[in-house]
This record gives sequence, structure tokens and C-alpha cells, in this order.
Amino acid sequence: MTGYVLKRIGISFLTLLLVAAIAFALMNAIPGSPFYTEKSTPEMIARAEAKYGLDKPLPVQFYNYIKGYFSGDMGVSLKMQEGTPVADIIFNQGKFELSLKIGIAALMVAVCLGIPLGVLAAYNRGKWIDSFLRVFTTIGVAVPSFVMATLMLIVFAVNLQWLPVRSEQLETFSSCVMPVLAVAFYPMCYIAKLTRTSMLDAIGQDYIRTARAKGLKTGKILFKHALRNSLIPVITYVGPLTAGIITGSFVVETTFSIPGLGKYFVSSIMNRDYPIIMGTTVVLAALIIVMNLFVDIAYKIVDPRINLAKAED
Amino acid sequence: MFRKDFKAFQLFHTKTEDIEQLKTFSAEDFELASAAEKENMVEKRKSVSYWKDAFRRFKKNHVSVVAFFLFLLICIFAFVGPYLIPYSYEEQYRNSMKLGPFENSEAEIMAEEILQDCDAIYATSLQPGSLTGLKKGLYTFKDGSDWYVFRLKKNLSDSVIVFDKDFDYPIYFIKEKDYMAGEYELNAVAYEVHSEQPEEITVLEFDRSVFPHVFGTDSAGRDIMSRSMYGARVSILIGIIASLIVLVIGSIYGSVAGLVGGKVDFVMMRIVEIIYSVPDVLIVLLLQVVLQEPLQNWFDTSEVAFVKSLGTLGTGIISIFITFALLYWVGMSRIVRGQVLMLKEQEFVTAANVLGAKNGRIIKRHLLPNCVGQLVIATCLQIPSAIFLESYLSFLGLGISAPMSSLGSLCSDAIETITLYPYRLIFPAVILSLLVLSLNLVGDGLRDALDPRLKK
Repeated sequence: MTGYVLKRIGISFLTLLLVAAIAFALMNAIPGSPFYTEKSTPEMIARAEAKYGLDKPLPVQFYNYIKGYFSGDMGVSLKMQEGTPVADIIFNQGKFELSLKIGIAALMVAVCLGIPLGVLAAYNRGKWIDSFLRVFTTIGVAVPSFVMATLMLIVFAVNLQWLPVRSEQLETFSSCVMPVLAVAFYPMCYIAKLTRTSMLDAIGQDYIRTARAKGLKTGKILFKHALRNSLIPVITYVGPLTAGIITGSFVVETTFSIPGLGKYFVSSIMNRDYPIIMGTTVVLAALIIVMNLFVDIAYKIVDPRINLAKAED
Repeated sequence: MFRKDFKAFQLFHTKTEDIEQLKTFSAEDFELASAAEKENMVEKRKSVSYWKDAFRRFKKNHVSVVAFFLFLLICIFAFVGPYLIPYSYEEQYRNSMKLGPFENSEAEIMAEEILQDCDAIYATSLQPGSLTGLKKGLYTFKDGSDWYVFRLKKNLSDSVIVFDKDFDYPIYFIKEKDYMAGEYELNAVAYEVHSEQPEEITVLEFDRSVFPHVFGTDSAGRDIMSRSMYGARVSILIGIIASLIVLVIGSIYGSVAGLVGGKVDFVMMRIVEIIYSVPDVLIVLLLQVVLQEPLQNWFDTSEVAFVKSLGTLGTGIISIFITFALLYWVGMSRIVRGQVLMLKEQEFVTAANVLGAKNGRIIKRHLLPNCVGQLVIATCLQIPSAIFLESYLSFLGLGISAPMSSLGSLCSDAIETITLYPYRLIFPAVILSLLVLSLNLVGDGLRDALDPRLKK
């Protein structure tokens, strides 16, 4: 177990390094200088590049980035907030906090609503509630989150006026509802579908019949015996789900004009602010990779039969 | 076949006294079987092939069949539709901005009115194929085989040209605003009629009907239905091509890893693992920006016709393909590898090996055909995810660039004016959702049909 976890951590670091290298290579592949404007002379560009170390050879620049990250120094912004340390922009201006808030809330909503919905559908298999949920979840995985976000905006904010249209800082509960639901809707439906399928599989097993014959209560059978055994596909999905939630938050932050990290990342690419691109990429990638790591370890806890050391064979 | 064999075959269906009879053989027992008897032995039912069987199972799944027809319908909408409506996806119709569904602009309504008593109308501000003003010069109306040539003596803008065969002067002009005001004179002085067809002329085609803007128009006066059709076309093409890219790379990579095994497999699977945990969205966004300029240069300078045709699609689409080729094949390669690991232990692979088949041939002739069901399912379910990705990127303003439209970029355009014109979002969004929905359901149906072991 420890060996496996250590190996996984090693691979995770390698992946993170790879992502950083890809991001670095890609942004340097954009032709021209980030300081180029219509008015600037070659001398001005050269001076600006020298100031931020962009005149050094690429491997040296990359090495400096990585060295900086280990000591918590993520460089300073080139253009968007000139001279401000990137770490400050990401962590101290509330951007990361805002995105994290939406992300975690969406994750919770997706898991905490998706699994019970799946159980409910499986338990009532063939009845109207199952049919209803099936239609609901099938439509849910076909509607893109930006459509969901906009529809909610029209219905609940503009027409019914239950929720605020602008929800910039997400201080109140009501301002969080729409962004979180918009991000969580697709994964929630997906998890409900997954749970239903694997629950049906589990309910058909012999040990459930035994539990029923023993006279256990239905709730206990469902949640303790069947659910625990049908959670593995759901857990597998939580890894990609994190990535999906980050994608979703890019879109939803744009729709609801929330000044989060996702929105900032998109505009940093447009502005070619290298240190911010690198910093955001590494932070978001680290988030996804750590989630994948947790998911892999969570397997072991949910299903002790999985032998982690041999899991790859 | 001998009659005796035939009798023995019947043994299973006979009683004990018949078996007693069998103990004694007579000469006639050894006669050749007649044609009629042979007929009985022939298998009556044809063996059902894999695909036929799958098709039969698919047909039973009514939801998937309906979804399949829905998908076909959307394909017709996307690929045939643009030829049926007179509006193009990029033209901005000057007088038709911000129209609602099924609305026509004033000029178009006017055209319809005039058309009721005239043979044809050509107006500077009307669709389709309208001009933004007629310059001085020679013009020709072509009505069937008849030519009506006239010389325009002054520049005309915002004028309606009406053609009426029964009239003394068949061609006349009306100022649009005069017509609107209800007072107009037939201005027949502005042209001379020529009887013969001169050289170097501008032909004005007749438009005898005015088509409604079914989905309305956007703020620039572009027809939303036409844009939706092109958008759906772009989305479907992206989905299919990206999935094919994933299929090719993933199946080759996976089958090589699975078949060769050992250290090669270990290294190849570690690479897959690393790519699998690379956050794709971040890389996609970066790639979009990075590839924009080099791709554009490549399109502009290339002599090859194929590359030029790629250029019309825009750089956004091509970089989506590149992203799929770089990052998204890993899921497919895992599926194929799993299948190959299972299949390669089977006798027919050993037999092929013994007969001296090379690895390439084993993969091509024996392994991949045997996991074709899995490949079809995975490819089909990949399509909606590619469509989703494209729409996200276009929504963020990174995918398709104007004037080309995609369903995602149409939604993104609609967001700005969402409170005033909600239908601009609803039409493309519904088409996008129906497209993804139908593909998901078809994929589910295919999974049940092609891989019955999975069916619950």
C-alpha cells in the first residue's frame, strides 16, 4: 500500500512537471513577443523582455520557473497587473477562493444529490419515478452547462426574480445557487445514471437476497449492503469530474461574470501574460492531479478486494 | 449420404420399437439418400451474422431507434437544409436585423405585396442575393428564356426594381421610402430597353418568393436558421472526425501495447497514465491560442488544395482536431488494450503466430476485427464529448471564428442579448442538446446491441 501510494505520488509529480513543460513550450510557441504593441520599438521590447528575464534561453527560463515554484515564488505578472506577484494574484485576491468555493460546492451537490437519485431510481425500477429520473438524467447529460446557466439566469433571475442576476463575490447563499447548480448539473445527472446501473447490478446479487431473508430493513440493505458495493464506478468518475468541474467553472464564471480563476486564466492566455498562464496552469493541474491521487487511494478504502500493488496488471 | 445414416440421425426422435428394427439391415438401407431426404438435412435457417444479430437487437430498442432517426433528421437539417433556404450563413441583410422567429423585415413584406401583382421583383435591400445598391450600367433580367436588358442611367440605392411583363415599360423603379409612404410614381425614365442581349452585363436573377426567417435574425442581420444549419454541420463534422482520429490512434496504440506486452507495454501504459491525468482543458485553451497564427500562415501560403479547404474551416477547428489527436486517444487505447490482452490468449492468435504472421497482420486481421463492437461503441460515445468540447471552446470565444458559425458560438453570441432575444439562444441550444442526446441514446443502444454481455 505505502509503496503504491509513493509510486503514485511520484507519477503525479512527473505529470505536473510534464504539464508545466507543455504549458511552457506552448506559450513560447506563440509567435512574437508578449510586449509587442503597434507603438513599441524593438529596443523597448528588448528592454521589457530583459527586465522579466525573457531574453534568457528557454531551458534556463523553464528551470527558473520550476525552481521558483519549489520556493513558493511564482514570478510576477507581465501585463495584466504589472509587477504583482502571481502567487498574490491567484491566492490573495480571492480568485482561487471563489473558484474553489464553486468547485467544492458543485462537487458536493453532484455527489450528494446524484448518488441518492441513482439509488432512488434503482430501488423504484420500472416505476414512474424511475422513468422520470431516467428522462431527467438523460436530458441532463445532453445539455451543456452554459445553456443550463443561461436558462437558469433567464428563468430564476430575470423572469421570476428569485435569485440575483449578478453574483460577483458570491457572499450570500442565494447568489451561489445558480453558478453551483449550473456547474453541478451535468455531473449530478451522470453520477445518478452511473449509480442506478451499478445499484441494479448489486441488487441482483445473492448477498442482497440473503440480507433480505435475514429480515434487514430496506434502508439498511440499500445503503449499507448494495450502495457500498456499487460505489466503485462512481468513485472512478470523481477524478475526471474534477477536471469537468474546472471546465464548467470557466464557462459559468464567464456567464455569471464571476471574477474567478477560470475567467482569469482565459484572459491571461489572450493577454499572453506568461507567468500567470504558468501559475494558473500549475495550480489547476495540481488540483486535478491530487484529486486523481485521492480517487485511486479511495478505491482501496471502498473495496479492500482491490490489490493496489497489482492493480495495473 | 446413406439412408442408414439418415435413420441413425432420426434415432433421437424414435421409439424403442423403431430401434429394434434398426438391428436388422436390409439392402435398401444402404441405398443413396434421395434428394427429398437430403432436403430434410439441410439447415433451414440461415446462420445469423454478428452484424445482423446486432441490428436485430438494436431494432428492438425503440428509444435508440427513435434517437437514430432524430440524429438523421438533424443531419438532414445540417447538410441538406442550407440548400433549401435562400439565406447564407455569413451575409448580413441590411434591413432585416433583429427579427424574431418567422418575421420578415418591412422590405421583405413590401416585396411580398408587390409580388402579388408583378412577375418578379428585385430590390436592393431584399434577400436573397440582394445587392447593396445598383450602379450605373447595363443589367439584364432573365425570365425563363426571355431577356430584358436595360441601361441604368444613375446610381440607385434603396430602390425596388419591379418587373411586370404586361406593362408597357416592363421594368420600373420605386424608392423604398416612397413605396412605404404609399405615394409613388413609376419611374420609367431611368432606363432604356434593349432588345438584344449585349456582352458584359450583370444578370439579375428573379426571386419570386420571400422566405421567412424561421429562427429570426441576429443583430447584424444574419439569418439564424442558416447559421444554425452550418453550426450543426460544423459540430457533427467535428464530432465525427475527432472520434475517428481518436479511434485510429487509440486502437493502434492500444493493440501494440497489448500484443507486444512486457516492458514495451509497461512504458506505453505509463505514458498513457501521465497523459490521462494531464488536465485537458488547460492544454486545449493554450493550444487554441498557440496554433492560431502558424495555422493561418500555413493555410495562406500552402499550394495544396486540401490544405486550402481546411483553411475555410478556420484555425479553431483544426486545433481541436490536434488536441484530440494529442490527448483524447488514451481512453480508447485502454479499452483496446484490455480487449487485446483477452483476445491474444485465444487459439486463433496462436495459430496465426505459428503460421508466421507478423504482429502487424495479427493486429489488423485478427485482433481489431474481434473487438470491433467495443470500437464502434467507444467511437460513438466519443462523438458527443467532442461536440461538447467544441461548443465550450466556441462559447469561450476560442473555437470557431466568425463568419463561420458553430452551435457553441451561436449560443455565445446570443448571451449578450439574452434578456431581449431569448430565442437566439434557445434555437441553437436545443439543436445542440438534441444532437448530443440522440448520439448518447444511439451509443447506449449500440452498446446493448453489439455487446450483449453488458446488457442487464
